[in-house]
Amino acid sequence: MRSTAETLAAPALEVRRLTASYSSRPVLWDVDATFPMGALSAIVGPNGAGKSTLLKAALGLIATDAGQALIQGRPVKTSRDRVAYVPQRDAVDWDFPITVREVVEMGRYAQIGWVRRVQRSDQTLVADCLERVGMAAYASRQIGQLSGGQRQRVFIARALAQQAQVMVMDEPFAGVDARTEADILGLLQELRNEGRAVIVVHHDLGTVRAAFDWVLLLNVRAIAAGPVADVLTPETLRRAYGAAGGLETEEQEPRWAA
Amino acid sequence: MGSLIDLLPLAYPDAVVVVGAALLGMTAGALGVFAVLRERSLVGDALAHSALPGVAVAFLVTGAKDVGTLLAGAACAGIVGALMMVGIERTSRIRPDAAIGVVLSSFFSLGIVLLTYIASTNNANQAGLEKYLFGQAAGLLERDLIVMAILSAISLTLVALLFRALKTTLFDPNFAGSVGLPVRVLEVAMTALLVVAVIVGLRTVGAILMVAMLVVPTVAARQLAGRLAVVLPVSALIGAVVGVTGALLSARAELPTGPVIVLVGFLVVMACVLLAPGRGVIWRARKLARDRRRTLTEGVMVDIETAIHAGPPPTAAELALVSGRDPRVLRRVLRRLDREGMLARDGDRLHLSEIGAAAAHAVLERRNLWSAWLEHGWQLQLPDAREPNPSDLRASLGDHYADRLQALAVKES
Amino acid sequence: MSDNLSIILTAGLVATAAGLLGPFLVLRRVALTSDAVSHAVLPGIVVIWLIFHTRAPLPVIGGAAVFAILCVLAIDALKGTNLVRGDAAIALVFPALFSVGVLGITRYASDIHLDLDSTIYGEIAFSPFETLPIAGVEIARSIVLLSGVALVNILLVVLLWKEFKATTFDPEFSRTIGISPKLLSRLLLVAVAITAVTAFESVGAILVVTLLIVPATTAYLLTDRLWLMVATTLAIGWISAVAGYWGAVSVDASIAGAMGLVAALCFAIALFVSPSYGLIARSLQRRRRSRSVQRELALAVKPQGAGADT
Ligand SMILES: Nc1ncnc2c1ncn2[C@@H]1O[C@H](COP(=O)(O)OP(=O)(O)OP(=O)(O)O)[C@@H](O)[C@H]1O
Ligand SMILES: [Mg+2]
Repeated sequence: MRSTAETLAAPALEVRRLTASYSSRPVLWDVDATFPMGALSAIVGPNGAGKSTLLKAALGLIATDAGQALIQGRPVKTSRDRVAYVPQRDAVDWDFPITVREVVEMGRYAQIGWVRRVQRSDQTLVADCLERVGMAAYASRQIGQLSGGQRQRVFIARALAQQAQVMVMDEPFAGVDARTEADILGLLQELRNEGRAVIVVHHDLGTVRAAFDWVLLLNVRAIAAGPVADVLTPETLRRAYGAAGGLETEEQEPRWAA
Repeated sequence: MGSLIDLLPLAYPDAVVVVGAALLGMTAGALGVFAVLRERSLVGDALAHSALPGVAVAFLVTGAKDVGTLLAGAACAGIVGALMMVGIERTSRIRPDAAIGVVLSSFFSLGIVLLTYIASTNNANQAGLEKYLFGQAAGLLERDLIVMAILSAISLTLVALLFRALKTTLFDPNFAGSVGLPVRVLEVAMTALLVVAVIVGLRTVGAILMVAMLVVPTVAARQLAGRLAVVLPVSALIGAVVGVTGALLSARAELPTGPVIVLVGFLVVMACVLLAPGRGVIWRARKLARDRRRTLTEGVMVDIETAIHAGPPPTAAELALVSGRDPRVLRRVLRRLDREGMLARDGDRLHLSEIGAAAAHAVLERRNLWSAWLEHGWQLQLPDAREPNPSDLRASLGDHYADRLQALAVKES
Repeated sequence: MSDNLSIILTAGLVATAAGLLGPFLVLRRVALTSDAVSHAVLPGIVVIWLIFHTRAPLPVIGGAAVFAILCVLAIDALKGTNLVRGDAAIALVFPALFSVGVLGITRYASDIHLDLDSTIYGEIAFSPFETLPIAGVEIARSIVLLSGVALVNILLVVLLWKEFKATTFDPEFSRTIGISPKLLSRLLLVAVAITAVTAFESVGAILVVTLLIVPATTAYLLTDRLWLMVATTLAIGWISAVAGYWGAVSVDASIAGAMGLVAALCFAIALFVSPSYGLIARSLQRRRRSRSVQRELALAVKPQGAGADT
């Protein structure tokens, strides 16, 4: 592992003055944020706040107007092997003739390198990752023959197989039952305890309060970032959620306060 | 029909071709929408190929090389082929493009085998059967125009009458079925219209032009509009315009009509794909460049303004250090600011000129307004849900609400 | 080598070269690229005629290949804008190129007989007659050329197997691990273009189009493993070659047409009897399920233990 002083000191993900826009209006505006290593971090904000966009920009998947994103202190282009990404809704072809095991093997492709084939050691690791997400029994199934929650587990296993120091997940708990959510959360905490960074977009503030260490509150601009207890105050939450609601009046209890 | 052709200020044969191209372009433009939006753009290609066995069978059965009989055979084969495509797609995991490919290859192979069979029976009459696949628009007759006009009228009327049902079917066939729309009947009706259009086009203008005319108008219209209710008429219009333009150009340059129409259509699509406002490739690239430049310039101006507030005016090197910007990029921005008269230099120390300071204040005000929106936006009771634009909140909220926001922010502090 | 064997081998080599690429085209939803290429090569022939005044096969293949590659790259670029879907991109590009060819002919070469049928589209029945001496043995030119193409395709698919698999299945993920989906898409399409053009000259257009689409689509109905899909595609391609030749000879019909028909027949059989995705299997499954549900309901109302032996 790269446990030199430099990488240990560098935050897992650092975003500097990031501005990004789609057709006409900025979706992210001058966002500054850091996420530490060895922590379970959440990105929280209303729908359309730009959370997914922030992750995509951080991974260099979309062009940004300004600013930069650094993975462990380096631009993402030169540190692809340090970050694993689980997208929000996989735009994959579920009818593709591919098994669960092969999907997870893809997590190894970057390390294996071009042209070379998947080795025995990779296969052991893949079996391991499937075991960790509780999908070992499904290894030979075609990917489309799984439920939504099971598919989510497989994509998390693929990210695990990348053995990256930084894991970035976009709403891994969307459409997942309580049991699966608890399993995945336990797994993410294990990863955190191994010293990696796990950054998750999540909507349930209760879980974030209970299980996460660090949080970024985002609504086009970074509203607050830091340890969960400091950041999730009624004041900042109102700033993040209240404005986007627009129609909410003072008497109405905002959803998050319940 | 005849009087319309006489009205045009063109030689008679040219006028016939122009009217034919307009009718065909309009019909194909309208019907093509339903093929293209369902990822079946190449259905015209498959139908054109499946005409071959139809022509062969019609010849085998009747023994006559009569145009009407052969066309009827082609149309029957086309309908069978089209229904097979739909059937393969519906009953299996195969996607539209592969289903089209399978029907195209199978029917054409069958056609070739039938042609060799006909040839081996030594029927001297068979020569030139396959030439039915390639018409010549110059050979368009006034009689063909009447067929086309009837076809256009039926197609456009049907599409207009059934618009709502077709839209629902197009967007979500399962939903359409669940609300009791006769999805299959609609599908068969649209398929039959498409087949007839392709066969008519095949005979008069050729297979390749038909493929293009079904796709070009829709793709172009789709770049210019997002709603089906707009895409459909725009597509029919583009089809007609492309047809007429191509026909006129080819008459002027004395070139074959079909290829010229195809190329005109291709140019129109390329123009739309490159330049369409909000979507086009060049439009987006220029916007990205502009946004990047503006974000950078505004950021640097704010940096200077903040530095001046904090202490003595900074040098370029100090500014780079404080703001963490790449010194080379910074120098470029400073040069641009200089050109625009935003900077006032004092030795190597940087000031903002009068207009520079005003611009920086405007930026800061916009940022503060956004902060105020985040802070107090929930207190505003907007009449409707709006999508606020952070870089210009005033415009997206309106002056009234922007002023109230500012008032709220001032009250707070 | 006998003519029979030579013809079968030629078709088998086309089936091999096409069968390696076809599955990826079908899975990427650009199956009809091959048909596009078959028309888009026309300007290549015209250009070669204008420059070299020849209709000899090798220069024509070269000129056609240039435009075939232009065609597939233009399709890829249009698709890459995300403004036009793959199928529409195909239907936009090839008519334009074909039209350029037609205009070229009418402008500059209307006096000579220059069309696809007489220049680049070969007839498989004649393929044994053009030979090249290889190590003292006369071997059909088509076999020599197609062996080369098949070999290149084998190398491409074997070496870049995991890259093709990853970019076809999940392009965005591939980007995050540094495998460029654009690059691989272009590689695949260029391979298709070169394969198609080379094969056109030996066996004609329709057989190439058929062998690039139909066996792969059939295999897609039969399996859930990518390598098995490719293997099945190759098998169906060879079956079409052998059985098609035999059928064509026995009823004296077009060889390419008969081979295409055999492939179509394989598809029809798979569509009905595929064990997992066939129409019969699925309707049986449905019936069995509804029957077992009925039986359970019947058991549920009977007193305990009465129906335990069923
Ligand atoms: N491809 C796109 N083209 C245009 N606008 C887009 C695109 N993707 C997202 N947007 C817009 O950008 C904004 C931010 O989108 P983003 O997906 O980042 O939100 P999010 O915070 O992830 O929301 P959610 O919680 O719903 O996932 C939204 O207003 C959305 O409408
Ligand atoms: Mg999101």
